[in-house]
Amino acid sequence: MTTWKEILKDEIPPEMGMLIDTYEAQMELRKQGRLDEKIFAEARLRKGVYGQRYDNGQRHDGVRTRDLAFPSGEVVKGPDTLWDAPGMQRIKIPYGGLTAEQLEVLSELADEYSDGIMHITTRQDIQLHYVHIDDTPDLMRRLAAVGITTQEACGNSVRNITACTLAGICHDEVFDVSPYADAMTQFLLNHDDVQDFGRKFKVAFSGCAGHACGLVKMHDLGLLAQTREIDGETLRGFTVFVGGGLGTVPHQAKVLAEFCREEELLPLTQAVARVFARLGEKKNRNRARIKFLVAKLGIDEFRREVEEELKTVPHDERHSAYTDTLGGFTYSPAKAGLALNGAPLPDGFDAWYRSNVYRQVQPGYSAITLHTPLGDFTAQQGFQLADIARKYVGDNIRLSVEQNIVLRWVADADLPAIYRDLCEIGLGDAHAGTIVDITACPGTDTCKLGIASSRGLTAELRTRLIEKINLLPDAIRELKIKVSGCFNSCGQHHVADIGFFGNSRRSGNHKMPHFQVVLGGQWQENAGSYGLAVGAVPAKTVPAVLEALTERYVAERGEGESFQTWVKNLGRKEIKAMLQPFMKLPSFEDNPRYFSDWGDSRVYTIDDIGVGECAGEVVSLFSMEISKAESTQFEALLALDDGDYQLADEQAYKAMVLAARALVRTKNLDVGDDYNTIVDEFRSRFYDTELIYDRFAKGKFARYLFKRHEGLPERVNEDYAHQIIDETQLFIENVHSAEQRINGVIVG
Amino acid sequence: MTIVPKRLGVKFNLKRQPALQPDDILPIFQRWIQDHSVGGMLIDVIDYKHVPEGPGIVLIADEADFAYDLADGQIGLHYVRKRDLPDDLESALRLCFSRALEAARALEAEAPDDLLFDYGCAKISFLDRMRYRNTPETFENVRAEMTEILSDIFSASVTLARAYDDPRSLFALHCRVGGGDFNIQS
Repeated sequence: MTTWKEILKDEIPPEMGMLIDTYEAQMELRKQGRLDEKIFAEARLRKGVYGQRYDNGQRHDGVRTRDLAFPSGEVVKGPDTLWDAPGMQRIKIPYGGLTAEQLEVLSELADEYSDGIMHITTRQDIQLHYVHIDDTPDLMRRLAAVGITTQEACGNSVRNITACTLAGICHDEVFDVSPYADAMTQFLLNHDDVQDFGRKFKVAFSGCAGHACGLVKMHDLGLLAQTREIDGETLRGFTVFVGGGLGTVPHQAKVLAEFCREEELLPLTQAVARVFARLGEKKNRNRARIKFLVAKLGIDEFRREVEEELKTVPHDERHSAYTDTLGGFTYSPAKAGLALNGAPLPDGFDAWYRSNVYRQVQPGYSAITLHTPLGDFTAQQGFQLADIARKYVGDNIRLSVEQNIVLRWVADADLPAIYRDLCEIGLGDAHAGTIVDITACPGTDTCKLGIASSRGLTAELRTRLIEKINLLPDAIRELKIKVSGCFNSCGQHHVADIGFFGNSRRSGNHKMPHFQVVLGGQWQENAGSYGLAVGAVPAKTVPAVLEALTERYVAERGEGESFQTWVKNLGRKEIKAMLQPFMKLPSFEDNPRYFSDWGDSRVYTIDDIGVGECAGEVVSLFSMEISKAESTQFEALLALDDGDYQLADEQAYKAMVLAARALVRTKNLDVGDDYNTIVDEFRSRFYDTELIYDRFAKGKFARYLFKRHEGLPERVNEDYAHQIIDETQLFIENVHSAEQRINGVIVG
Repeated sequence: MTIVPKRLGVKFNLKRQPALQPDDILPIFQRWIQDHSVGGMLIDVIDYKHVPEGPGIVLIADEADFAYDLADGQIGLHYVRKRDLPDDLESALRLCFSRALEAARALEAEAPDDLLFDYGCAKISFLDRMRYRNTPETFENVRAEMTEILSDIFSASVTLARAYDDPRSLFALHCRVGGGDFNIQS
């Protein structure tokens, strides 16, 4: 039977294809119980294959907790994560940039492997939910064929690199950061120096200091475009921020370098990654983000470490070569830029134009924001939008951190027509970027950590606000609301004017869903400051709380007074007093409605909360690398079964080199990929020193590697293939044993 | 012989716009989970009613999804079998139709005077672009066998037509049964 692998073999870049094949082999090994569940979990996460709520096989149905008896029984894809349980696939879209063709493939995948919905995340990814793990290799192949990877979309890795959606077309930017985000994405993907983190690492680019778009101050690494006049020449570079982050304990990023020249950007980033890998926390994942390391060392000491590390970073042509390609990063509008021609405008156009249209710096062009409620759009809308993109803007599509879609390079003369076309496919809603355009994480809908329904609350607030949006004063219309289902801040509640995050309180013998109210966060100035938590209110009172807050703000605000300033002036005590009437908890008997969450008719429970995979598994670098050797050896076995002895030999040999490399990298991180170097390093560090020696077989297993490295035998036949695969197995076991003897612990 | 697609869907549309809102469906599906009202390992309910012409309210099960579906501007009950489809097309279609009918009737029973499905017509979707691209050729390749199988299953004449012209869309067929409703003869 034909497979996607066969159909797409000429369209998938070999490196991407190999990574997917390795992952598929790891899946098979896990199913057979031959790969540790924690190691597989981290390998899976690094492919963007994430767990979902109820994947531990239990769900509270509103009356009692019931077992979900998945067909594959006890087989797990990670600790307490059942194989058959539906999961989420995160798909990296670097700086949110999409082509029409990529949008079509994403739509196909949503149709066939998910529930027909694409979800835009706050980090410009696309997520598909309710995906079965068995479908993920083909899903990845279909993406790879159009240049999209899921590699390192989750897990302890460099996540999707984000950037302003207006980069390249903005009136206020210093320069277009898009090509830099693109270059860094390519440089860091699968880089050896980003494989040994204790937790995830998020990078963002911003073109200016004033607007929100890039949010560089809340990122692990934030790059803010700058220029400097040096010796009469205008040089491009970045202010480098490090150690920002939201999460339970938000940290504002610190300035690592006031001005880093563009040719120094990649080596500096590499040095930061190496310091994080070397000194970052590995055991306690609650303190493993780089923000904790920066706080622990202090920015001055952290800077000193980075400067020292920079001296050890090996030379790499790519560090500066990318700057030669920056000029090639251009945009191809579908049409010439023409002004609006005075023809009659469609109904609703004016309101849409006010909120959804941004006049580009390039005369005659605009960027338009498509407001996707809760970040969701259908596969059918995806196909139709691809048509609209081709007709008006070409491949100039971006996803925004506010969970919307932005079409850039629309000729102004086309605005009425594109508005009509968007209305026809349900994407012509006005009010993008207003109080109606609420950001929400998945919350209890699908997230294992969700405490309250962020999406349910958002849908409710949105419905109520849309009804009266035209009556709201401008001061309220422009406010930002952001909602998270728990304290982990995926909905970015800290940087909203009005933020909410889910928690719960007890009333009598029942739990009641609540939201903590967080006020006065700053979205502008790249998430310039974080809000104050002022008290938790029952979920069902949040709409009334919002109304009370906004009405009082409008009534009491001074001329031009921002919401942040008003909150600050009013003070936490007064605000708390304002919320007090909403905090009264009725009994279950008096008001059972309070004991169900928004968008959920079940009596509320926190029994469904599981262990999150957000942090990934803390697995040693050796464990991750040796698992690649094991899966490659498995591929050799499959080739043997297929009668392809040449391929079986190649894979077995590669597996031995990968195993040797895994051990060498425990002593020399920079060994690289060259087979000769790896084997030489392995010989001098482990064979000549006898560290690899087995108690009885001595250096026999290592010599299997040396023998194959010297060359192939005259005849590669079935017997030979059998033999080298067996030898590979013994060598891998030998490496495992040696690593345990030498380093003590494998899984951290 | 027509190969069974990886996933197969059957949708029955409502005869008329109901008074019942999608919001009202959510507690019904939650109760179905509690009461095991329809077959399958029922997991969760997800609300997509905010998405225009989207999947609406979806009851997620391990092997299938049941949606109070808003796609194509037609409200209906959409059953999508995701896993464990029988190897032969007749059994696969019989299974999907019987589960879709079961769910549609169960939903009608929740609001007997309001929710009325049109059982004379169904949309059959092949969620498998590798084997079934939405082309006229694919339709010609499957039409005769599908017609024969469906006529056998329902002991009635059936007519088939492609549901979408767009080659990117799923291959889907509108299936109309002659002289009555879909009624599976066991």
